[in-house]
Amino acid sequence: MTVRTTRRSALKAIAAIGAAPLGFHIGTARGQAARQQPFTIIINQSPWFNGFRAVVERYQRESGNSVTLDVVSFAESLEKQRNSVRARQGVSDLLIMNGLFYQEFYHGGFVQPIHDIDPAFRLDPQMLTLADTVFWNEQTKTHDPRTGKLMSVPISGLIPVLYYRADLYQEKNLQVPDTFEQLLANARALNSPRVYGMVQRGARGLTEVSFDWFPYFNGFGGSIFRNEDQGDFTVTINSPEGKAALDFYLQLAREAGHPQTGGQGQAQVIQNIVTGRAAQAMIVIAAWAQMEDPQRSAVVGKINVARVPHAAGHRPGPPLGHWLGGIPKNVPRERQVAALAFLNWFQQRNSQVAYLEGGAPPVRQDVLADPQLGAQPRNRWMRALADSSEFVRRMWTIPEGAQMVSVLDLRLNQAVIGEMTSAAALNTIADEIHAIVRTAGYRTGKLPNL
Amino acid sequence: MPALPLPPMAKIGIDRKWRAIGLAPSLLVFAGLTLLPIANLVAMSFHDIAWADGISRWTFVGFRHYQALPEDMLLRAGLGNTIFFAVVSTLTQMLLAFVLALFVSRIHRGRVLYRTLFILPILVPAIVIGAIWKLMLNYDFGLVNDFIGLFGAAPRDWLGERALALWSVIVVDVWHWTPFCFLLLLAGFESLPQDVYEAARVDGVGPLSELRYITLPLMLPTIAVTLGFRLILAFKVFDEIYLLTGGGPGTATEVLSFTVYRRFFTQDRAGYGAAMSLFAMTLVAVLAITAMTAARRRQTRS
Repeated sequence: MTVRTTRRSALKAIAAIGAAPLGFHIGTARGQAARQQPFTIIINQSPWFNGFRAVVERYQRESGNSVTLDVVSFAESLEKQRNSVRARQGVSDLLIMNGLFYQEFYHGGFVQPIHDIDPAFRLDPQMLTLADTVFWNEQTKTHDPRTGKLMSVPISGLIPVLYYRADLYQEKNLQVPDTFEQLLANARALNSPRVYGMVQRGARGLTEVSFDWFPYFNGFGGSIFRNEDQGDFTVTINSPEGKAALDFYLQLAREAGHPQTGGQGQAQVIQNIVTGRAAQAMIVIAAWAQMEDPQRSAVVGKINVARVPHAAGHRPGPPLGHWLGGIPKNVPRERQVAALAFLNWFQQRNSQVAYLEGGAPPVRQDVLADPQLGAQPRNRWMRALADSSEFVRRMWTIPEGAQMVSVLDLRLNQAVIGEMTSAAALNTIADEIHAIVRTAGYRTGKLPNL
Repeated sequence: MPALPLPPMAKIGIDRKWRAIGLAPSLLVFAGLTLLPIANLVAMSFHDIAWADGISRWTFVGFRHYQALPEDMLLRAGLGNTIFFAVVSTLTQMLLAFVLALFVSRIHRGRVLYRTLFILPILVPAIVIGAIWKLMLNYDFGLVNDFIGLFGAAPRDWLGERALALWSVIVVDVWHWTPFCFLLLLAGFESLPQDVYEAARVDGVGPLSELRYITLPLMLPTIAVTLGFRLILAFKVFDEIYLLTGGGPGTATEVLSFTVYRRFFTQDRAGYGAAMSLFAMTLVAVLAITAMTAARRRQTRS
């Protein structure tokens, strides 16, 4: 296993809260937020966007500062951010970077280390560090919190969780699954002509089936590379673990899934859940707001969530599909300062509570673990997120992510629609990813074909 | 003393000079906007372009990107699908548009109404078309499956099944672009000389013979131009694929423009993407030249 994530940061944070110099911190936040230049945030239209917009509006009201939101689609957000950071002077002052692509902004030297803007800035110890991806050591090319610089502030800690129909579970006397075998058994029990036992995101897109498959892949003990942190990029996706994960994914689709899993993207999966057509799905936590919105959901109060299951003998492995806020180097200093003032305000507890109330999952441990907030029925997803945090796994650390995910989405989709066997798909993925990392100059190799 | 008039040859020379001076700014702008980007694309296609420390680094790779093109599985799939898509959708549109334009050109009452109705789809923005058709073709909640369900047919995943996806996109493209062909052909019909038809009627020519021996030959230049334009546009299809299928399932709806987009933009392989773009541009240029040459030859023969 190449990528290891612990709850270290969060636990350290909890221990440190009493000692945290909050007075200084809040003082800094208020001071910085006082009078700032107008600035622009580029962000994609995610399921959690409404929550983000709500806090931005609140920030503008509280501080009197002006913020422009440049809201784009997922694919566009990557391209617009690239265009902005590569220009002589950027137009986007705060980049909301996705967990699959932020690496190319770090590697490319486009993001300004936070302490180069304000040496006094402190990432609140309560903030999640999201598998330490907010830190970057440009010499070792690793996310080392001890030697790396703080490059960004967490915006959204998206991970997939299992959404299930609690009412149907009760009706059929089912238990929340801990293992994949139990998940399959539940899906079979729930599957009927009127309700799909499980819906999966098997379509080919920018990142559809690949992100959906990763909890299975991780949960069977698979990894793309042998030891990424040690610089060993030997491709291991076509391992027996990888095959077991893909075979299980296909079995689930075949036996209790949507009849056209290969055509289901995130939007269709959410649509099936909120209309009551599906009993289970693994979706990012940010989709929760839609489940409880009577304007959008026919199953208000009937859905519950749990940590993603895993294969017997392995650990769960929800992949991190998170978002980080980074400030580019190529914008004027006063706009960098303005963007950082917002980030500083954003990490405060009150702001994070407002974020939660707006419908987005907060990125502060003390808000996520707040018993009062967690006890509210509409926040019943928070437990699942807290349960998942110690198992979260990064996707990759190298900037070739956009190329790799393109390979993954195509080949996995071909396996889902029956165009390739699972072994052929994984062997092809291994060949193609091997070619990508070899061309990029990493120390690599690959396993024999399955 | 009045000036002596210039000899004719000298006048022509001055005219040419002034014409050249007058056109020069436009030519410069044209060169700047068209030729320079293409020259830049050519230069890019011989390099690997990477970004480090905020600047781009170009590494010369010779013809490596061009050599890799035939091995690119996505490009091969995209090329095959593009040819199929362009031929089927363009021919269907031409046929439909011809019939509709002929019909509208022959009626006197309600002509404006029909014309307005037939051109409506072309006025709808592509993003709206994508949303409308994606909803209509949805497996679980789409109108099309609801409709065929009335006759007892099982629902189909029109955009997610390999055998159906490209055909579904062709249907949307036909719906979207037939008005374009209709407008050009209608303009052609309306400009046909009426005295030929009057003479034919006096000679007792029937409607089918009139269509075969008068209308079709006279319309040939318009048909050729419309076909050429539409074929070139169909070769460049992007928005419908992007909005409806994203190239999937598998590579069932992968098309050339979409492959270029993936390689160049999404995967950020600018050098390789540039080589692929030039390949696509060459194909479209060859197609355009062939279509125009064929049209000109046919016109000369007519």
